Amino acid sequence: MNPKTLLRLALLLPAIAQAASAAPKKDYIVTGSKPDRLFLIDAAARRVVGDFKIPGAHDWVGTIVPSPDGRIAYVLVNRMESIAGIDLGTGKEVFRADLSSPGERVKCLFAFDVTPDGKQMLVYEVPVKLGLSEYQVEPTRFAVFDTNAGLHAKPVREFPAPRRVHTLLTDKNDRTFFALGFDLYEYDIATGKRLETRGIRHWDHPGHSRPDLLAFWPVSEPTGIFAAPIYSTRTPAAGHGAPVPVTSLMTLNLRTGALAYHDVEKTSALIFSTVLSPTEPAAFGAYTQLTKIGLDPYRVEKRVDLPHTYYAVLVSTDGKEVYTAGAMCDVTVFDADTLAEKANIRLPGCGDQSVTSPRLVRR
Amino acid sequence: MSTTSKAENTGGWALAVLLGVLAAGAATRAVAAVTATTGPADGATLVKTYCGACHLPDRQGTLARIGDERKTPEGWVMTIFRMQNLHGLQLPATARDTIVRYLADTRGLAPSEAAPARFALERRPNVPDLALPGDLQRMCARCHSAARIALERRDAADWLKNANWHLAEFPTIEYQEGARDRHWWREASTKVPAELGRLFPLHTAAWAAWQRHAPIDLAGRWLVRGDEPGRGTYWGTAEIRRTAADEYRTTYRLRFADGQALDGQSHAIVYTGYEWRGTATLGDRSTHEVFAASPGGRRLSGRWFLDDHAEIGADWDAVRAGRAPRIVLVSPRAIRAGTSTRVTIVGEHLGGRVDLGAGLRARVVHRGRTSLVLQVDAAAHAAPGYRTVRVGGANAADAVAVYDRVDRLDVTPAYAIARLGGGKIDPVAAQFAVDAIEEIPGPASKPQAVHLGALPVAWSIGPFDAQAAHDRDVDFAGRIDSRGRFLPAGAGPNPKRPFHADNTGNLEVIATLPPGAAGRPTAVVGKAHLVVTVQRWNTPPIY
Repeated sequence: MNPKTLLRLALLLPAIAQAASAAPKKDYIVTGSKPDRLFLIDAAARRVVGDFKIPGAHDWVGTIVPSPDGRIAYVLVNRMESIAGIDLGTGKEVFRADLSSPGERVKCLFAFDVTPDGKQMLVYEVPVKLGLSEYQVEPTRFAVFDTNAGLHAKPVREFPAPRRVHTLLTDKNDRTFFALGFDLYEYDIATGKRLETRGIRHWDHPGHSRPDLLAFWPVSEPTGIFAAPIYSTRTPAAGHGAPVPVTSLMTLNLRTGALAYHDVEKTSALIFSTVLSPTEPAAFGAYTQLTKIGLDPYRVEKRVDLPHTYYAVLVSTDGKEVYTAGAMCDVTVFDADTLAEKANIRLPGCGDQSVTSPRLVRR
Repeated sequence: MSTTSKAENTGGWALAVLLGVLAAGAATRAVAAVTATTGPADGATLVKTYCGACHLPDRQGTLARIGDERKTPEGWVMTIFRMQNLHGLQLPATARDTIVRYLADTRGLAPSEAAPARFALERRPNVPDLALPGDLQRMCARCHSAARIALERRDAADWLKNANWHLAEFPTIEYQEGARDRHWWREASTKVPAELGRLFPLHTAAWAAWQRHAPIDLAGRWLVRGDEPGRGTYWGTAEIRRTAADEYRTTYRLRFADGQALDGQSHAIVYTGYEWRGTATLGDRSTHEVFAASPGGRRLSGRWFLDDHAEIGADWDAVRAGRAPRIVLVSPRAIRAGTSTRVTIVGEHLGGRVDLGAGLRARVVHRGRTSLVLQVDAAAHAAPGYRTVRVGGANAADAVAVYDRVDRLDVTPAYAIARLGGGKIDPVAAQFAVDAIEEIPGPASKPQAVHLGALPVAWSIGPFDAQAAHDRDVDFAGRIDSRGRFLPAGAGPNPKRPFHADNTGNLEVIATLPPGAAGRPTAVVGKAHLVVTVQRWNTPPIY
């Protein structure tokens, strides 16, 4: 290579670097596994590009909430008693909220979220007072943290919460958030005032029994609509005979607050969690089968057996691929149209993903 | 309290299982009879020393919580295990054992209080559990056996503390299937403690009376009979020597019906004045004994089981040797018409004339101190049915049966659970046995079942239903041996099965008696239902 070429290359370097930083964002899958691992997977390249150890995880990796800019993954660890914010570029811990304190053990039952502006974190806290010879169950509460509080974050506000909440979802307006539990509650983030209660257990779905819902995978990307399977029994149309088990789909639009329930099928396979397609009227559900659910009309469009049980399911931003993850130590890629398997990505160390909530981030 | 079929939910929503695993603790030790030379007074001191730092005394000097509860020896062992494993209690094994003795003696259960749930202490596999009334079944027995709750006594205030402890230690409880359909904590903190305090209160007349009961000395000579499923009837004698207050050493001279010896030694502690817990060697096996002495001290009954496999064990029934003629066992219990059979009558003071009833002619082969061996000829036309056995002044009604054919095989247990093994968790086998039955015309022409006991059968397994056949459960779940013991396969995802499923199975256990032995032109078949399921991750002394 002659000196002129070298010079030209040298002059070009800043431009190349700039081009790289302005490169269009890509889909990444963030998932975790026992005992303390957090992975960043380049979805298109089918490659684990980040493999991080979460400090003080104590063999427990649970809910994952990415920051809206895709830079940080907040992970529930330490047997539900701590939330660690891990920089997905460096693997460094940049945020830490240890919920317990001497005399009070506090667990977060899967439910926390970060506001769309990335500035505040909402945590559902289940506290217990530790006495000398007895424990005392205390009222549950919401705690609000500043995400820039660093490694010793303390709540900036707390307010009362109902029991048995399993998912928190922030509203796109940064002012309210939803809590899913016995019913669907909407709260004002600033004041803690409960603004509205709508039915989950007490749903308005004529002809159906009280339903059962416990999908604690807080996935609403890429559509901004949270979707979850919900189970009940339906009185037969004739009005007599044995009630029929029914799988329905709950959808909650986080921008508009629109809540809907639609029957999908007479339950023929379990679905643990679901995600909505960004490009077609369809949802995908995972457990021991991968199910494609049509939304117009609501029905099972396609169902394939999975190699093993997966608890969680994600869909690519372009709607063309589906990713099953959670449970055991791999992520499998499927064609969103045919549900044919396209690739399998093994996680280093092969720890169990267990109850972690794999997420899709753009970065 | 009624009994109900023990429904172990092996299906259900896997998430419920998952949450259950999150909530599961570790294994705890069984109550063992280990050398402990200290008495109750030392126990009180040790409790103050090791427990008093957290369990502060009230004005009367009663330690918090400890004074508010009564439990079986196993219950107290589990409590101390929890203190060690969750609360950092450090104490030497000898202190632990002394504390358990002291607490079981001073805060135990009266015999009548423990009686309905003894099966849980005896670790009897596949038996019907108790049923708690109303919502308690769902609130408590969803995870525990109802027996475990029925083996504790507290007042409502302490049951409430117990409810607090549960949700504090296992916060996923209120999210689990069977709990999230209700305002769980509201129920658990109001109705449940009130109801438990009413059903299982701390202060009872039975316990007050038992504390006044004169101590029982179990030393002496005992006649023993028992039955080990899959192995058969055994009998013999036990010489019990008292070595310390409530502590005994025993020599067993036992044998099975086929002649194999079952001799051994035992070292036992008697807790609460009647709860015999022994560590024994029987033949080449290390066993654990859970017996209860009758209030009069003339009977000692219960079950012994293998140290490392509680599901394998035997009934045990011992009566104190006396002066009166007595028959305690006839083996075998059934004699086929038209055959000549060697029969043993177990008992004492068995002198005098022997009479086995119509159609049976007995010749004495050997007269021992505690047994009488006979050669019995059953006439070809001897009528099927029970006979009263008489030896001198002793008699035993319906102690032997004559049969000419087998109409039915009842396989017990009719419904059983076995568990896969692997890693740190041993498999849990399932032992089956048969009871052969001939049906004869009874009063008012109704058929009467004559129970013939175990006959030699061939054992096999099959799929319970079409799904099990499709999934080839028979090929993966395990195998059954010639004595009716199902040995489960290893646990863990199996790449050879659809979905990498575990080696679980839904099976039918089949016992077959060939035509010749059944006295019929065709074989007689009996069946049971066996579910081979996943491991239990915690194995406490009381489930």
